[in-house]
Amino acid sequence: MAQLFDLALINSALRVLTPILLAALGGALCSRVGLFNVGLEGFMLLGAFSAVAGNYFFGNVVYAIVFAIIVVSLFSLVFGYLSIHLKANVIVVGVAMNALAAGITTFSLRAIFDVKGAFYDNTMVGLPKWNIPIIENIPVLGPILAGLTPLVYVAFLIAGLMWYYFYRTKSGFRFLAAGENPLAARSVGIRVTRYQYGAVLASGVLCALGGAQLSLGQVTMFTEGMTAGRGFIALVATMLGQSGPLGVTAASLLFGFMDALSIRFQGLALPTHFTQMLPYVVTILAMFFFKDKSFQQDALKQGTSSR
Amino acid sequence: MTRMLLQMDSITKKYGEFSANRGIDFSLRAGEVHAIVGENGAGKTTLMRILYGMEQPTSGTISLNGKAVSFASPLDAIQHGIGMVHQHFMLFPTFTVAENIVIGHEPGSGVRFDRKQAVSIVEELCETYGMKVDPEAVVSSTAPGVQQRVEILKVLYQGAEIIILDEPTGVLTPLEVKELLEAIKQLSKQGKSFILISHKLNEVLEVADRITVLRDGEVTGVVNKGEADAALLSRLMVGRELADLDRRPAQPGESVLEVSEVTIRGSKGKPVLDNVSLNVRAGEIVGVAGISGNGQSELLQVISGLASSDSGSIKLSGKDVTGMSTRSIREHGLAHIPEDRYVWGANRTATVADTGLMGHQRRLQRSGMLKLKEIRSLVSGWVQKFSIKTGSLDTSTQYLSGGNLQKLIVARELEQGTPFLIAAEPTRGVDIGAMETIHGELLKRREEGTGILLVSSELTEIIKLSDRILVMYEGRIAGELSVNEATEEKLGLLMAGGTLQ
Amino acid sequence: MNKWTKWTLPLLQPIGAIIVGLLAGAIGILIAGGSILETYAEMWKGAFGGMYFFTNTLSRATPIILIGLGAAFAFRAGFFNLGAEGQMVFGALAAALVGLYLPGPGWFVCIAALLAGVIAGGLWSVMAGYFDARFRVNLLISTLLLNYVAVLFAGYLVAYPLRDRSGSAAMAQSPMLDNSVWLPKLISGMPLHIGFVLAVLAALIIFVLLKRSVIGYEIRMLGGNPLFALYGGVKRGPMMIGAMFASGGLAGLGGAVEILGSQYRYIDGALSTANYAWTGIMAALLAGSHPIGTLIAAIFLAALQTGGMGVERNTEVPLEVGAIIQAVLILFISARFTYSFLKRRKENKSDGTAV
Repeated sequence: MAQLFDLALINSALRVLTPILLAALGGALCSRVGLFNVGLEGFMLLGAFSAVAGNYFFGNVVYAIVFAIIVVSLFSLVFGYLSIHLKANVIVVGVAMNALAAGITTFSLRAIFDVKGAFYDNTMVGLPKWNIPIIENIPVLGPILAGLTPLVYVAFLIAGLMWYYFYRTKSGFRFLAAGENPLAARSVGIRVTRYQYGAVLASGVLCALGGAQLSLGQVTMFTEGMTAGRGFIALVATMLGQSGPLGVTAASLLFGFMDALSIRFQGLALPTHFTQMLPYVVTILAMFFFKDKSFQQDALKQGTSSR
Repeated sequence: MTRMLLQMDSITKKYGEFSANRGIDFSLRAGEVHAIVGENGAGKTTLMRILYGMEQPTSGTISLNGKAVSFASPLDAIQHGIGMVHQHFMLFPTFTVAENIVIGHEPGSGVRFDRKQAVSIVEELCETYGMKVDPEAVVSSTAPGVQQRVEILKVLYQGAEIIILDEPTGVLTPLEVKELLEAIKQLSKQGKSFILISHKLNEVLEVADRITVLRDGEVTGVVNKGEADAALLSRLMVGRELADLDRRPAQPGESVLEVSEVTIRGSKGKPVLDNVSLNVRAGEIVGVAGISGNGQSELLQVISGLASSDSGSIKLSGKDVTGMSTRSIREHGLAHIPEDRYVWGANRTATVADTGLMGHQRRLQRSGMLKLKEIRSLVSGWVQKFSIKTGSLDTSTQYLSGGNLQKLIVARELEQGTPFLIAAEPTRGVDIGAMETIHGELLKRREEGTGILLVSSELTEIIKLSDRILVMYEGRIAGELSVNEATEEKLGLLMAGGTLQ
Repeated sequence: MNKWTKWTLPLLQPIGAIIVGLLAGAIGILIAGGSILETYAEMWKGAFGGMYFFTNTLSRATPIILIGLGAAFAFRAGFFNLGAEGQMVFGALAAALVGLYLPGPGWFVCIAALLAGVIAGGLWSVMAGYFDARFRVNLLISTLLLNYVAVLFAGYLVAYPLRDRSGSAAMAQSPMLDNSVWLPKLISGMPLHIGFVLAVLAALIIFVLLKRSVIGYEIRMLGGNPLFALYGGVKRGPMMIGAMFASGGLAGLGGAVEILGSQYRYIDGALSTANYAWTGIMAALLAGSHPIGTLIAAIFLAALQTGGMGVERNTEVPLEVGAIIQAVLILFISARFTYSFLKRRKENKSDGTAV
């Protein structure tokens, strides 16, 4: 047991939860303005790919991330245009965006790099892994924070900023208002669609960062479908966290921990199939215990069902 | 003549072929309360949407203080000192009162929103205008009367000189209505001007300095305070004398509905339905009066099987149906005109024929397949009988007007031919013609021996149709009156939680 | 004139979407350095050029049609079942198991295998439906996540207990089915098998069921406005279980016919990489959940894939160009949902409910 649960586990949990946390924060922004963003998965996949592509083209991690942000932002604007402007069903658009992201990435993998399945190039540099001078030597904290990428810190920083934005600023107040009652918000001159576009764009940026952590953080490569449902897990984290920055962070911690545990289990004699199942099963189980409040309110109104 | 603060000249608004407003003139003095009355669809709302910048007039001009203006959006109107309190409150339920009032013009330095300052601003506002609210209360936990004050304070905070109130008393108790009318008088003394849209003539007569009557998009009369009475106004509104309903005293028979001691415990410790008992006999109409939100919806849902009760029992034609599914209850003899036609009563994406079929589908079938021919002839029979205006039976339900959809729903439920019928808000939002048809049909059903439970937030409708009247207050039956002893005053008192002793 | 517009208007958007999709594909082709006309000509040939390619396309369409019908059925009832992949995988796995281990004459085993596919897919789907109906576990998310669980579980079975150890043991796959239990071919020498007939029949049955039957009526009303259906006496719980079983069962059948008619063994990942499940869901979305429309859309999408393979064989352009066309198509079609979405009042928070 001790071998399974040690400080290194927390360290690896922090690494793997980062993509989920970033995407989930993006999902929270969207759901606060009434957009259930099923497209997080696709956003993140495209982010992972364009981060690798940018890295390959520019040979620079910072440029790679900027490139990923630009690509995914444009992509998220398509989502925004269809679901906000044309008022298409957000779920249908989200599903289609996921398909499009899968198509674009596999196509580009062939068209640009002429490989199938995965792309790896040893000239590429991954994200730097920080060992912070003084903290490095502190007993417990040192091993926990050893060799984390800057994006891990960025993710937590963004969660904090989001909290400040929501609950301390005028703009954040209006953002929440736009989501709570769009009609009333419009009646006092709040431009609801602007906030909605902002949320979608921000979720694009966050997913780009999440994708970059996936493809440039642990390993420096892109494989087809490498997000493997993390976008959907992030969506559950959004729901469990009731779209609040702190709740979402807590939920992401849980899922990140499960992810890390499943990686850890792979060292054991168990078939990898079952260890890989762990995050999905835990996510489903979590939905039994923590339910999105708004769903319950809807259900109460209706007496019998979950909608 | 004193100079008009606001002048609207020959406003016309066309939607395609249809004119919602035709050459309407309207004016408002500073400190005046000017009421607009009229039927549903007379054009009141359209006129106000134009004034508030939500719609652009097809022709006509608006001037403020003698200067021509045009508003591209509500924001424009607000900046020109026009504020509107909508019929359905534009509030954020999870926000506090103070947050709701300052939204759009939040205090604070830079990007920071200073909530403490917001509270003190609201306290000052309350002081200035003599209206009381708790700035730190969460809006969803406050009473409708308080929410109305919040709306008015919000408009005042935005700097409104002209305040439009659209059907402001619909959700208020008689006491709250009184307080509101008092507040309007008070504020108009302080120089604020009001446009009051209403169809409740007694309230209008009490508070308005001038009354403009609209019918079919045109002004049919402008009368000053003291020159008008309710009879004159309703003649101007309807354009003809209304036929009195021909009704004989009820001859009640056996009980068709018996509700005994039904309780639903709410989530907040306060019961939603508290030990409710009532019965409806064949051949009588029992009216349930009450401010909406006092348990009427839940009562109907429990009776029709859409919600379950925590205790108590319900009998339909002598048979215990407690806890049965909606389908079994319907099979035991219940028809139900639902309170919200769009939420419960129709599928907007379905065709008129499909919406009309609901509840009959298990009857009009042969070995699991629908008898389409019979269904179509049945529904087209209703379309003729109730003169429902629809393109065809295959038109999508969403294209029916509210009144026509309501007639379709009423026809559908009457066709069930059950011994017991729930009629919830059977005429909400329909025009006078449709209302007369529906009322006539309900009375005819009563003559034929159907027991009817009528729930309505319109006291006039309750008094006009019912043989007995129950008043609901906070989930309880607060009192019962026969139609002969019932007056609006007595009912109003019970509705507000008072007693008759 | 009026009749004209009545018939052409509903077609305008799909046609417009196809044009935009082909334009997006053209951009992809240019990026890959191919010639647009030549590529599209190859695509046409790969999908429809000659009897072999045509029947190959229909054969590929077969599981897509069945899965698409399953998705469409659930969407019509208002349930966003995105678990087609897992349901298909379990259907395929069950069919393979029954085909391998059930004794009896070939035709009997074959029918039993098809039924096993339906039941396995159906039950896996009902589980998610039950979780939603009973515990309010969001259906959309649970069906999505259960896909991963199903694929991994099936992968485990063929990697360990059921692994074919006879031939080259490199692949995780089950042993080959005896050819007495294979689905018969429609035309000898061509890939098309009798499963296609099943798929077309299923589309017709669902069409009639939805349009003419009492249950179909109740399903449509439940999908259009669940509260209206409840009010009218439709029982949501049993309907949900039934609709989810039918939906998952069709996906399971899709997996089963693919095993019994084309692949003859369960190969780990073969169904997932061919992307049958998502293509089926796309077909349903493309057709607005209309059963006959789903049939046509499924054949069209299958043609994009088989055409893409033709393109890859004969040009420098990768076959994924088909995937791009498909996704762009869906995006543009989804805008059509505008009106139906507006109709549902106060629905600012969408969850597991559909179209």
